[in-house]
Amino acid sequence: MEGKVGIGLRRDIADEIIDSHILTPDFLEFAPENWMGIGGYWNRIRQKAVDRYPVTCHGLSLSLGSAEELDWKFIGELKNFLDENRVEIFSEHLSYTKSRNAHLYDLLPIPFRKDAVDHVVDRIRQVQDFLERPLAIENVSYYTPVAAEMTEIEFVNEIVERADCKLLLDVNNVYVNAFNHKYDAHAFIDSLPLDRVAYIHMAGHQKVEPDLIIDTHGQPIIDPVYELFEWTIRKMDPVPVLLERDYNFDELEQIQSEILQLKSIIKKQWKVPYEA
Amino acid sequence: MKLSEDTARIQDILGDYCRTGEGEQIPGIIPGRVNHYRRLVYNVIRSNMDRAFPITLAALGEEEWDQLVQEFFSKGLPQTPQIWKLPYEFYNYHLMKETGIRIQKPYLEDLLYFEWIEIEVHTMPDKPFPEYLSSGNIFMDRLALNPEFEMIRLNYPVHMHPAAAAADMKGDYFVLIFRVPDTGNVKFLNLSGIHTYILARLMEEDLPLKDLKGDIAQTAGIESIKYLDDALEKFIGDLIDKRLILGYLKE
Ligand SMILES: [Fe+2]
Repeated sequence: MEGKVGIGLRRDIADEIIDSHILTPDFLEFAPENWMGIGGYWNRIRQKAVDRYPVTCHGLSLSLGSAEELDWKFIGELKNFLDENRVEIFSEHLSYTKSRNAHLYDLLPIPFRKDAVDHVVDRIRQVQDFLERPLAIENVSYYTPVAAEMTEIEFVNEIVERADCKLLLDVNNVYVNAFNHKYDAHAFIDSLPLDRVAYIHMAGHQKVEPDLIIDTHGQPIIDPVYELFEWTIRKMDPVPVLLERDYNFDELEQIQSEILQLKSIIKKQWKVPYEA
Repeated sequence: MKLSEDTARIQDILGDYCRTGEGEQIPGIIPGRVNHYRRLVYNVIRSNMDRAFPITLAALGEEEWDQLVQEFFSKGLPQTPQIWKLPYEFYNYHLMKETGIRIQKPYLEDLLYFEWIEIEVHTMPDKPFPEYLSSGNIFMDRLALNPEFEMIRLNYPVHMHPAAAAADMKGDYFVLIFRVPDTGNVKFLNLSGIHTYILARLMEEDLPLKDLKGDIAQTAGIESIKYLDDALEKFIGDLIDKRLILGYLKE
């Protein structure tokens, strides 16, 4: 899948993806939580998608940063799902989505602190050992630091090195964070261990205040993020690239044009051959 | 656990703030930013509940519905990692809290339950289908039932009438909700008492209809055999058309 371009399998575009009238991704990304343990119509769609495309999975609910014990029952079911669907890459977020042992279904920012590093490293290692596959950890967008004692780059790098895991580099998230927290996106990427990047995310975002961008996955990718992507991939070996789109599916042609633009940048920088 | 008590506490303060909009000062944040987390988390819950319960939303109206979602959001402490199962927790929360009585909408629990069961039947894992033939005799052959269904009992006929009208029709209502093979669509049938009885017997016992006819006649108080046969033929034929009965078991 190196140098290939995928898109998330969302229910809104599932029929379109199975029949490929407009969208032509090379692979699909599943949120496993949305497809595990189901039958009926959506299970048949899942099966058709898996028969037709290579698959990656992007988890939502592990909550690597929070205090309560990992949900081993869920992780056991997840392992079966990853095996049954021949999932090539499994990724999760460097965030927490639970508190008071209950789910919040969104990505909250872990305090950039030494004890949080130790905790997350432990949990990534436990999950990797259990799943018997590497975990790719995603740098998330955050809108405020919380009780930080170190910088974001120190936090991310120490976790990835010590957990000996892969990195899911979300280029849009770097752009969003650099804007929101007034740092240099290029310098941030230059400080990452790019040899650990197993997977890239690209997405659109929305500026909601003059000094705040929210990572929405509902808008087209903007040019500065394409430029940051092109600049980044020159420095690393080919990996799969995913266009993240969670809603606003009215303009499929426009989404297809983003897939094509990613493919053309990849072809230029990674010399990956693409059939016309 | 290597997370310090202090860091865990700070994470919970932010989690609590997202759920309630209240709580102590969170250390080391940019003012005016955490409210976006609260907004984003709430939007996820609200949009999922709106999609799951469109009839309840329409029946209660925006304001009352939003209060129900806000209450669940702040106090519900959801346990499922799979958000498509969250509507069940939402239903169960309001059942336990007797919200329907509190807001004087006695049909509320039934309506939430009915809308959740539709999701559950649409999404539940596939069940093994019996081997069956499409021609046979409805009285002599054992009937092959579609295994993908739920039978529920409601106090208010929210599946047949607008909620406000259903509120005045308290009684015993039996509804069969099933998944149509091939399309995966969900359909439901309102069942009379005698139809519920016939289906329950067919589901529980591996007998052809001829062996159940005596009991059915007695339960329904029907004396004319001709009348009973005609009624059964019509009922079973209808279930075959709807694909709740697939055909006749291979012997
Ligand atoms: Fe991402």
